Amino acid sequence: MRLHNDSATEAFRTEFSDWLDENLPDPAEATERPHSSADTPAWARAFQAKMFDDGWLVPAYPPEFGGRNAGLFEQLVYFEELGRRDVTRSFNPQGLGIVGASIVSFGNDQQKRDYAIPILRAEMMAALGMSEPNAGSDLAGLTTRAAIDGDEFVVSGQKVWTSGAHDADMILAFVRTDPDAPKHKGISALIIDTDTPGVTRRPFADITGPDHTDFNEVFFDDVRVPRKNLVGELNDGWRICNGALAHERAMLWIMWSQGLDKMLREFLSELRGTAKADDPVVLDKVGKLVADAQSLRLLGNRQLAKQQRGLVPAEQSILKMMGSEAQREVALLAVEALGPAALDQRRVPGHSSVFASDKHVVTWFNRYLFGFAGTISGGTSEIQRNIIAERVLGLPR
Amino acid sequence: MDFELTDDQLELQRTVRDVLAQECPPDLVRAVTEGGAADELWDTLVSLDWPGLTIATEHGGTGYSWVELAIVLEEFGRAVAPGPFLATVTQFASAVRAVATPHQASHWLPLVASGAVTGAFAVDEGAGTWLLDGVSAAATCDGEDLVLAGTKRYVLDGATADEIAVVVRLDAQLRVVVVPRSALGVDAFAPIDATSVHADLDLDGCRVPVDRLLGEGDATEAISAAIDEALVAISVSTVGTCQRILELDVEYAKERRQFDVPIGSFQAVKHKLADMYRDVERARALSYFAALCLAEGDSRAAVAASMAKAAAGECQQRCTQDGLQIFGGIGYTWEHDLHLYLRRAKVGELTFGGASQHRQRVARLTLAGGLA
Repeated sequence: MRLHNDSATEAFRTEFSDWLDENLPDPAEATERPHSSADTPAWARAFQAKMFDDGWLVPAYPPEFGGRNAGLFEQLVYFEELGRRDVTRSFNPQGLGIVGASIVSFGNDQQKRDYAIPILRAEMMAALGMSEPNAGSDLAGLTTRAAIDGDEFVVSGQKVWTSGAHDADMILAFVRTDPDAPKHKGISALIIDTDTPGVTRRPFADITGPDHTDFNEVFFDDVRVPRKNLVGELNDGWRICNGALAHERAMLWIMWSQGLDKMLREFLSELRGTAKADDPVVLDKVGKLVADAQSLRLLGNRQLAKQQRGLVPAEQSILKMMGSEAQREVALLAVEALGPAALDQRRVPGHSSVFASDKHVVTWFNRYLFGFAGTISGGTSEIQRNIIAERVLGLPR
Repeated sequence: MDFELTDDQLELQRTVRDVLAQECPPDLVRAVTEGGAADELWDTLVSLDWPGLTIATEHGGTGYSWVELAIVLEEFGRAVAPGPFLATVTQFASAVRAVATPHQASHWLPLVASGAVTGAFAVDEGAGTWLLDGVSAAATCDGEDLVLAGTKRYVLDGATADEIAVVVRLDAQLRVVVVPRSALGVDAFAPIDATSVHADLDLDGCRVPVDRLLGEGDATEAISAAIDEALVAISVSTVGTCQRILELDVEYAKERRQFDVPIGSFQAVKHKLADMYRDVERARALSYFAALCLAEGDSRAAVAASMAKAAAGECQQRCTQDGLQIFGGIGYTWEHDLHLYLRRAKVGELTFGGASQHRQRVARLTLAGGLA
């Protein structure tokens, strides 16, 4: 156990920090904002491509996928530097982190060339088709059907909560290819170009406001998808679903940790110097959240340290639950500590850098609402507790 | 940072766990709870040189860091080990080390390391906060003697330790005087946890030689640092106790069947246990971080100590409450061992300031820029 990194890791940090100093876009030219999670402004596309070309987009990847085969702690300091400067790698996060990653891990060479690399270089925008109206927490219960017809799949069904689909060039969709197999065993992953006949995308607004349209319903009416768009083996989609984030799975907690740190920082800077900064009730809650943020960082670091030693860490299961719940807590505390000042939607925290991605989330009340995206999506907090109880504590299903 | 124990540290953890499994089984804890003594356990710990674990080798100790001490304390908490270890090593010795002159340290620390002397640390006077602005006990010089006045409350091992480090005011300064327990009026509690007995002390008229006054000049900062060490020790010990409660509950939830299934298959039970697990992991992480800050002399030690104490407090609250609820009726009996752990887990929260006090301290230190 020690507090500080070794010098090689710090040298890696310096190298990346220097690269950022050299290559970050001019803020004056980076003013155009994205409208959805699959809408990347030209300046951000150019920056993402530059990161790819220089091996700084996904450091864990080999150079051909925009990386440099970085180790775990090198990845950690990389994310620390991005977070410190509030720089977003990709405005199409599901493309970089899930769709691209799945194709890199499970796709064939042609799919990597035609989809993974363009997605990673921000030349192609991606959406992820997982949830359905009747398959949320029970994702493996999905019913969108893909029947084989010669060299094609014929896809029928509906996805929902498909972030950015209306701006996406392709969807990585999880579909049922064997309706007779047990539910986890009849699923496959298909690349579906969004301009294929029969694909209908219907964006809808989320709770934060009528203009905040990122989610989509996506309807597939006898959509004909070439067989070559199958990612991985037929009926092996559940493995892809679970392995999608393999290269950076160890780093997932950083998103929660940095988001929480940022919200706390902004709240504390608003709190400083006000009467509330002496209110024991507020201080009590602030102290809890500061400890939450620190414990998240520590547990994330412990997870990395265990992986570095070749152990299988259990920390991952609590980090998402803790991070998402604490983020919601900070926003709630901010709203209620601000009191009537939080009534005014014109009031914005506004400490974000131009490179940051929190486009919809401006007021503390919207941040609070947005906090539920964290505790609901990607496995609800209740599902996370089931996972902890069953996989970590070994309780019966 | 590297936030996992090294192979040597894991080896120490195994050794301590094995020794305590042998020397401090639940039967021993129960015997102490029902009025027995645990002198042999202390003799064993002394024979293993554990009282001197973090005392420098030049003072007859092993010279390990605070991380190794945390490992030992977690195991002590897990076994609810009775005896003078916690107060002597993490309170008395910490106070002496923080405040004493080198000459005084070379007198007192070897006595602790060899097990010749057990100690306690008397700070609070009734506010229950262990905050130093609440200290009004006084020392006055009278020739070659110091004469004490006032009272100290809630002193762990105050009725049994050989020597007590007492925080007093001398002139305008905060100082520490080492007082033999036999020179004080002692009022021992009928404790909720017989493995950690507290006492109130009457200082009035107590007279000790002036060479028992530690250090030179005002010791406020050093005393605060010693209190921070005590916080971390209580926290990591509480983590060990809560870890054991969690283990007992998980084991029981797998075995106990109702409605033809193990009760651990019910989500109402699963979610309680998942939250207990999260709270234990969170408190453990913050406790070891604080230990690491102490080990490396990091400037975040104070805020880290309060984060640890707050997290341990939240953890014990959940683990005692849900830990008993999950056991149902069998946990409500004297015969079942669960209450041995519940008692110890609660004691830590009630001393050196509770979770809420420390959350507020964390917030104030953070607002002032204490945790970069």
